[in-house]
Amino acid sequence: MRKYDVLVIGGGPAGISAALATAKKNLNVALFEEKEILGGQLIKQTHKFFGSKDESAGTRGIYIARKLINEVENNKNIDLYLNSMVMGYYEDGVITALVEGKMEKFLPKKVIIATGAFEKSLPFENNDLPGVFGAGAVQTLMNIYGVLPGKDVLMIGSGNIGLIVSYQLAQAGVNVKGIVEISEKIGGYLVHASKVRRLGIPIYTRHTIVKAIGEKKVKGAIIENIETKEKKEISCDVICLATGLMPLSDIINQIKCEMKYIPELGGYVPVRDENMKTSVENIFVAGDSAGIEEATAAMLEGELSGLYASYEITNIFDDRINKIKKRLKDLRKTSLKIVNGLKKLNLYTDFNVDSQEDLKELHRTGIPEIERISQITPKNSNRYAIMECFQKIPCNPCVSSCPTNAISMDSLNDIPKLDADKCIGCGNCVAVCPGLAIFVIDKQKESVLLPYEFLPIPEKGELVDVLDRSGNVLERNTVLNVRKMKDKTNLVEVKVSKENLKNVRHIRVVK
Amino acid sequence: MRIQEHPILEFKRGRKVKFYFEDQEVWGYEGETIAAALHALGIWEYREGLKTGRARGLFCAIGHCSSCLMNVNGVPNTRICITPLKEGMIVKKQKPKGDLIEKV
Repeated sequence: MRKYDVLVIGGGPAGISAALATAKKNLNVALFEEKEILGGQLIKQTHKFFGSKDESAGTRGIYIARKLINEVENNKNIDLYLNSMVMGYYEDGVITALVEGKMEKFLPKKVIIATGAFEKSLPFENNDLPGVFGAGAVQTLMNIYGVLPGKDVLMIGSGNIGLIVSYQLAQAGVNVKGIVEISEKIGGYLVHASKVRRLGIPIYTRHTIVKAIGEKKVKGAIIENIETKEKKEISCDVICLATGLMPLSDIINQIKCEMKYIPELGGYVPVRDENMKTSVENIFVAGDSAGIEEATAAMLEGELSGLYASYEITNIFDDRINKIKKRLKDLRKTSLKIVNGLKKLNLYTDFNVDSQEDLKELHRTGIPEIERISQITPKNSNRYAIMECFQKIPCNPCVSSCPTNAISMDSLNDIPKLDADKCIGCGNCVAVCPGLAIFVIDKQKESVLLPYEFLPIPEKGELVDVLDRSGNVLERNTVLNVRKMKDKTNLVEVKVSKENLKNVRHIRVVK
Repeated sequence: MRIQEHPILEFKRGRKVKFYFEDQEVWGYEGETIAAALHALGIWEYREGLKTGRARGLFCAIGHCSSCLMNVNGVPNTRICITPLKEGMIVKKQKPKGDLIEKV
């Protein structure tokens, strides 16, 4: 029997953060991970995270993961159990686990469960065919092992995962045939939607998939307009399901933690208090297994659970516990769904969410309307940044990136405002914006500076296709400058004819 | 098919190793999952559905959906999506279900 202060189940962002928080209090921690690698979903996230500077905003998930994993591996207070599966919890507090194929017993004072989530499937004809993959599986193949998931992918679901994975597929050189969304509005953040739209990827709102075509492998899909019932056949070899996640709660159920069905949080979730304690003494939860959210919240919840479990052991209260709770509230300020779910757990009872405006066409197409663009276009400047960020998102890296303080926001969830008189068009904000939603227009030079995360990277002087917000080629013109950035969001300045200055948002190399 | 060049990522791959799929010699990189190696070779069909006998492949890739269970080195119901590839592994399709009692 091995004794520990804290035993953490799950080596994703929540579990790692929980283990680190407790280990830093000089307690011994056992960190269990079923797979051979730490990091959970975080090691597949090649996009830059939203948030504030405190939560590594503007940093790619993979870099955050690398830093956290490194900290875990170098922490003497953490015993790492990889390829090890926790099997069960007994009433006397003993945990059994399969370690290198052998059953071992552990006796921790506290247990933190951070088992993450599981992909939801969708009922449609032939949904069992090889080639129908969960979005997580597609990301694993492509971003961890460098294996192409397929040639032509149809994405089902336009939530953040559907949008982000579509963009990542395009970065890997896969042809994304379209994104199917049953609702009338795009589910994920609209800056992510704009990113895929400018690549020419269509989003079929009010559509659903009715059938996968193929005998032993997917060869195509039939999608249907849910109003007109009009059907459309799309040829593809992969159908990627990004239709939501549910908490992975096997061990939570086995422990007999009280569970509650809360659709807003992904299904059955453990009842917990604001310190991440479940209904069973000494058992904590964190991250997606406590309710589906995203990685930043998971990391904060992990740390919170770790700090609170430490407090219960040491009786020394760390004020960071309250700070994290406040940060979580800031982060959830615009998440009506999450907050509604938390209210059902009797949490956040007096918390008000900033209502999200229905952004009309933008919400349905992912492409900002001309009127919206003209409203933010400075009249008298020759070189200025244009911030196509119209939705409240907890994100502010642009503000601190500006050397002349031209960008301002009242709060983390505010929409950034530009003081055109102060803007010098340096492009710093273009490089840091996690939504790739900022561009610099130069009316005199007749050029657009845009973020570019694809291969091949064009050379100065090269002729490239310049594309509009829907991925249509407007013209072929010259690359004026290329700034290669360390974090690989390169800045390309391209010459554009006067009438297209307002519309150019992407380039394609033509070799 | 493998990604050769990526705008953001660099892939650290293990050494190239041989293994066997349905008695055929194939290859993959040591340490990647068996599923990743097979997928890269274009092999997407891993077992037959228990009741339907239909082809089944990868789904969740995190070891929780049971869709990719195969027989690896004689051990049935191996989750190939989380099992690292080693040289000489003998990987076989499961038809339709793995038997824990070895048949001699």
